[in-house]
Amino acid sequence: MDGVKRFNWAGWLALGFLLCLWELGARATPRLQPYVPAISQVLAAFGPLLREGTILKHLAITLGRFLEGYLLAAGLGVVLGVVLGYFRTVHSFVETLIEFLRPMPSVAIIPVAILALGIGDAMIIAVTVYATLWPILINAIDGVRRIEKILIDTGRTFGLPRRRILWRIILPAASPYIVTGLRIGLSIALILVTTAEMIAGSKGLGFFILDEERSMNSAAMYGGIVVVAALGYFLNRLFLALEFRAMRWRRGMLVRESF
Amino acid sequence: MRPRWLNGFLFICVLMAAWEFAARAEWVNPLLVPPPSRVLEIFWGLIAAGQIPWQIVVSMKRAAIGYFLAAAVFIPLGIFMGLSERIRRLTEVVVEVLRPVPPPALIPLAMLFFGLEDGMKIFVIFFSCAWPILLNALDGVRQIDPVLLHTARTFHVSRAKSILQIVLPAAMPQILTGLRVSLPITLILVVISEMVGSTDGIGYFILDSQRRFKVAQMYAGMLALAILGYLLNQLFDLAYRRLLPWHWAMTKRTE
Repeated sequence: MDGVKRFNWAGWLALGFLLCLWELGARATPRLQPYVPAISQVLAAFGPLLREGTILKHLAITLGRFLEGYLLAAGLGVVLGVVLGYFRTVHSFVETLIEFLRPMPSVAIIPVAILALGIGDAMIIAVTVYATLWPILINAIDGVRRIEKILIDTGRTFGLPRRRILWRIILPAASPYIVTGLRIGLSIALILVTTAEMIAGSKGLGFFILDEERSMNSAAMYGGIVVVAALGYFLNRLFLALEFRAMRWRRGMLVRESF
Repeated sequence: MRPRWLNGFLFICVLMAAWEFAARAEWVNPLLVPPPSRVLEIFWGLIAAGQIPWQIVVSMKRAAIGYFLAAAVFIPLGIFMGLSERIRRLTEVVVEVLRPVPPPALIPLAMLFFGLEDGMKIFVIFFSCAWPILLNALDGVRQIDPVLLHTARTFHVSRAKSILQIVLPAAMPQILTGLRVSLPITLILVVISEMVGSTDGIGYFILDSQRRFKVAQMYAGMLALAILGYLLNQLFDLAYRRLLPWHWAMTKRTE
């Protein structure tokens, strides 16, 4: 590891250079401006959107759907995954079904969800839960199955009740895998929410971006993309910060092992 | 003892039988949930008529171009970023700024430039495969034992040769991980982009069937997609075993 992280001047300069290039290029070619408005124009379009609260309204809707879908999937995935990882017989029954459903691109479920739930929040959240469930479920199953049997057997030998074996042995031992699943699920959930909003939505950032494109309002469209990207960035950062706190005990262990 | 796969097979049979029965007894609205026998019948019909195979060929052409284009651009870029601190610092911020953009958010942008043509889907696939491929290649190169590179330099192995004969093989497992992760992403993005803006392809076929209320046909399309996803995975494993037999054997043993 590089001890203290230096500020990356070169990187930020490169970014600034590219943005300047974009600004000048867009200004120099008026023919392209409907497609590529200059950065200054994007920023100028951003002001009113922010002031009227349009974009914040869509952002709040998207965020709400995301949270509902993601948290539901996380709860469901971890519980199901631990159960399926622990009880091998149960797992053997559903294994083939999982292996068959998993490779199907999850977005293919959107038409089914539209049929069953119409177009609205319920459909978007259902689709998000379905897609987000897979990585979380599969990592949780994997994590529990990879626990060394000795750990659980030791717990049993000392007469630990099942509940304590679950909380003190299984969950901590499987947590690295569970966290990985949860992190992969994060970006998938955001993809699914925005996609569902594009295909069948009348609100939310996905709808907003597509709608601005259709009305040839490209400056606002770029604004929407920036907001979605920022949302993804901050959600990821938040997750990493939470992971850092929650998994602190494990890092200590790893460092000790490496000596 | 009963083999494990038998349990899984039995479970699917029971599930299908229950579904068939529920649909025929009209416990569930048969308009929304047709019996599986009907879905299979339509599925074979569409296969025989060549409709589903054709849609899949259309989709796969887009997927393959986007995927291989991303591999061709971002594997070399990842290697150079891994080898040279200067290139890495220069590109790092731009990558970090672009990476969190959820790929579907780029579909409208791509539509603006390419309309509803193939270029739109290819661009979206290219962009969304970029990050796993790039970051894995970068990681793979950075994890190479520096002694290997120093040794090569000591023996005056040329830079190009050491990249081809040392860096590339050593980073290959991670590069392949990136390619593997990108595979389902490619499939998802081709379906999404065809649903949002297209007039053909398997994604369009499924959504269009739903809009026309041809529900059995919609399920048949999803079945085809599941089979396709499975086959692509198998194909990748096959290529993996061919390209990296030593690494394949290693990971199998530790499992």
